[in-house]
Amino acid sequence: MELFIQQIISGISIGAIYALLAVGYALVYSVYNFTNWAFDAFMAFGAFMALTAIASFFLPFWAAALLSIILTIILSVGTEKLAYRPLRMRKAPRLFMMISAMGVNLTIVQLINRSYGGTFRRFPVEHVQPIFVGNVSIGRMDLLAGLISFGVLALLWLFLYRTKWGLGIRASSIDIMTASLMGINNDAVALIIFALTGVLSSVAGIFYGIKYAVYPLMGLITIKAMIASIVGGLGSLPGAIVGSMILGVLETLVSGYISSTYRDLFSFMFLIVILLFFPNGLMGKSGEEKL
Amino acid sequence: MSADIQQSNPILEIKNLTVDFGGVRAVNDVTLSLQPGEFVGLIGPNGAGKTTVFNLITNAIQATSGEILLNGKSILGKSPDQICRLGISRTFQNIRLFPQMTAYENVELGLHSTPHYSLAEAFVRTPRASRVEKQTHQKALELLEVVNLREFARERASSLPYGLQRRLEMARAMATSPQMLLLDEPAAGMNEDECKDLIRLIRQIHESMKYTMIMIEHHMNVVMDLCRDSRIYVLSLGSLLTVGTPTEIQTNPQVIKAYLGERKNG
Amino acid sequence: MGYLEAIIILSGINIIAVMGVSILTGYTGLFTIGHAGFMALGGYMSAVMVKEFHLPVILALIIGGFFAGLCSFIIGYPSFRSQLRGDYFAIATLGFSEAIRLVLNNTKTIGPLNIGGAFGYMNIPSATTVPMVVGVLIVGLYLAHMFVTSQFGKNCIAVSQDETAAQMMGVNLLRTKLIALFVSAFYAGVAGGLMGFYFAYLSPSFFTITQSSNLLAAVVFGGIQSLIGPVITAFVLIAIPQLLLVFSEWRLVIYGFLFVIVMIFRPQGLLGYVEMNMNFARVLWNKLLRRKTVDVIEG
Repeated sequence: MELFIQQIISGISIGAIYALLAVGYALVYSVYNFTNWAFDAFMAFGAFMALTAIASFFLPFWAAALLSIILTIILSVGTEKLAYRPLRMRKAPRLFMMISAMGVNLTIVQLINRSYGGTFRRFPVEHVQPIFVGNVSIGRMDLLAGLISFGVLALLWLFLYRTKWGLGIRASSIDIMTASLMGINNDAVALIIFALTGVLSSVAGIFYGIKYAVYPLMGLITIKAMIASIVGGLGSLPGAIVGSMILGVLETLVSGYISSTYRDLFSFMFLIVILLFFPNGLMGKSGEEKL
Repeated sequence: MSADIQQSNPILEIKNLTVDFGGVRAVNDVTLSLQPGEFVGLIGPNGAGKTTVFNLITNAIQATSGEILLNGKSILGKSPDQICRLGISRTFQNIRLFPQMTAYENVELGLHSTPHYSLAEAFVRTPRASRVEKQTHQKALELLEVVNLREFARERASSLPYGLQRRLEMARAMATSPQMLLLDEPAAGMNEDECKDLIRLIRQIHESMKYTMIMIEHHMNVVMDLCRDSRIYVLSLGSLLTVGTPTEIQTNPQVIKAYLGERKNG
Repeated sequence: MGYLEAIIILSGINIIAVMGVSILTGYTGLFTIGHAGFMALGGYMSAVMVKEFHLPVILALIIGGFFAGLCSFIIGYPSFRSQLRGDYFAIATLGFSEAIRLVLNNTKTIGPLNIGGAFGYMNIPSATTVPMVVGVLIVGLYLAHMFVTSQFGKNCIAVSQDETAAQMMGVNLLRTKLIALFVSAFYAGVAGGLMGFYFAYLSPSFFTITQSSNLLAAVVFGGIQSLIGPVITAFVLIAIPQLLLVFSEWRLVIYGFLFVIVMIFRPQGLLGYVEMNMNFARVLWNKLLRRKTVDVIEG
């Protein structure tokens, strides 16, 4: 029984990381109808920047994290301006935008690979004793990751639903053309969304790095986040969170009780099964095309 | 339009058709019925829901409630390509040609959207498949001829002038061998002379091919001319306002009021 | 001589797989970053057919191709049915390919069959020769050309340019995409099989995202809606790095950068929309001889 609870907790903590990524992904998708493949790279970038700040420049953890977030924001916004916007302005077909995004991803991940090498690195944080509740141990970092993830998501929620800017973004996610006609500044929207993307991916990267390891291909975990987002319903933010939690927990259970080998295969099969029965995901809105 | 309108079973029946988008009711309880071979107009101010009705008929969007019957059988929930195969084809308000394909290829697509030979024959082109290809080639050229676009066959669709693109869309729609043709603002952006040519073309197509046709249009002279022996449905804010002959419509105070503030040609 | 042989065989294998990706991405507009997975499926299946069941190599290659094609329905059917279409499919290709690689990496035996897991599948009969690769390549190119110029191929092209309009004009989207996917997976599977019979060894590490990216790159640079473009590009991308080894370390970084540049400045790629047919050959010939061309359609 305790093992089960342990698994659930572990599942929730990875689910939290997925949630950060899935929400970031869903945010971009819901406004631009576009899969940001470079998300993968942003996450790795964020993790490596924080790692470098701590290991090579001896910054304290929080400063390093902040620096990493800022740098990732710059990277994310820069990518949007240089690699996505020109295509979006031209109403380029979806395929072309995906290729461009994949290009950004390849460039950044491989640059990291070239610069740092592929070894798995540990985040130099002290190993602290986990908290014990009965016989169940909860890693402090997991707890922190969970709390901060939910904190970030809560802040995001507040921003989206309680501020004027957030309203603008939500309007854009329904119809970006109409939103701009109503006076919402599209450039500002793009800036905010990709800045948010930068924040979410770097935070996720740092936590993932602490929990597991930092390595150039760590961004592949974003596939899981994408899966979670799809399961929850592509374009739906609450769906992304729900999907992430479900995926995180189920995946960990599979890994614990069946085999860790098949964990990823399971996630993938899970996606297929869900889509067979819920073609728009669990909470998805079906996109209506304007004819 | 002097089509022989048999008082037989209607080819298309729309009953209490309604669709909601979120909180907006785009089409509200619309009912209409067409006899085979008729040519009717569908008019109304912008945002009245005319194109939405077309989208509902072709199931580009799902109706919230109501019924659509083609030759007595419901087509609600069928996929758009099924509906096309059952005999309904259309043009689009915002032209949707295949931009990088030539005019010829655009029309040809309508002819082979359901391939006429098997996949195996595609890989190893049998004499039968080659014959099919030749026939398709011929038909495509003929259709281009009908809309006077033969000389533009090799031009990329996206490079054609607007008016020609509209004609091309019509040819492509005809290529699917429909029973019913839905035209969405075929005269949009055309001047007086182009409208005259268009009226002639559409009349000619209707008389020779005997399609049942519904036409959405804002150019009043085009609608009144083409529907002079038939009727016009008027939509406003999603609901059917009235239906009548061109004369009746033009003098109907409700219709005039619906259009108040919108000055259109003709 | 052995070196030249290696280049011909390796680029030949690559070109075959690239033709598959071209059909799916170049002609049907479906982004895939997972064709390495189909190469793996075809490769392992072909190898097993020859090594364990002693089937003739050509038959084994076809079986491998079919196996990869059948597996493609696993991701094709749910993706193309759902509203999420393009994006879900792209993600699914990545997930699928990685899942396959991981499973192969962790599976030493399947029942009585030993496929080696991370150590790789060893002692596969060495059967790939230059004539075989060239033969498969020519047949493959011919069949691919037949497909893309057929009514099926033209439907794929329409789907890539405006799938909603295509559907309204009667094209069955699900069927068209599944066919394109099946054919493309088949090609990748055959390529995987040839690879196994060349190295006499298969390892899951051959079938990474990098491999899928390489295939995609050939199509992106070589050209959308063209076979000749990606074919030439695939050859160049294999042949050149062999000569510039230093360059090849930064290859992926450069590819990534070029993806963006190409999309912004010349999205149709090098030879996009250029097809090998009598018209192309004739136009080229006449251009060389500076003569005017007679239109084929009006003929």
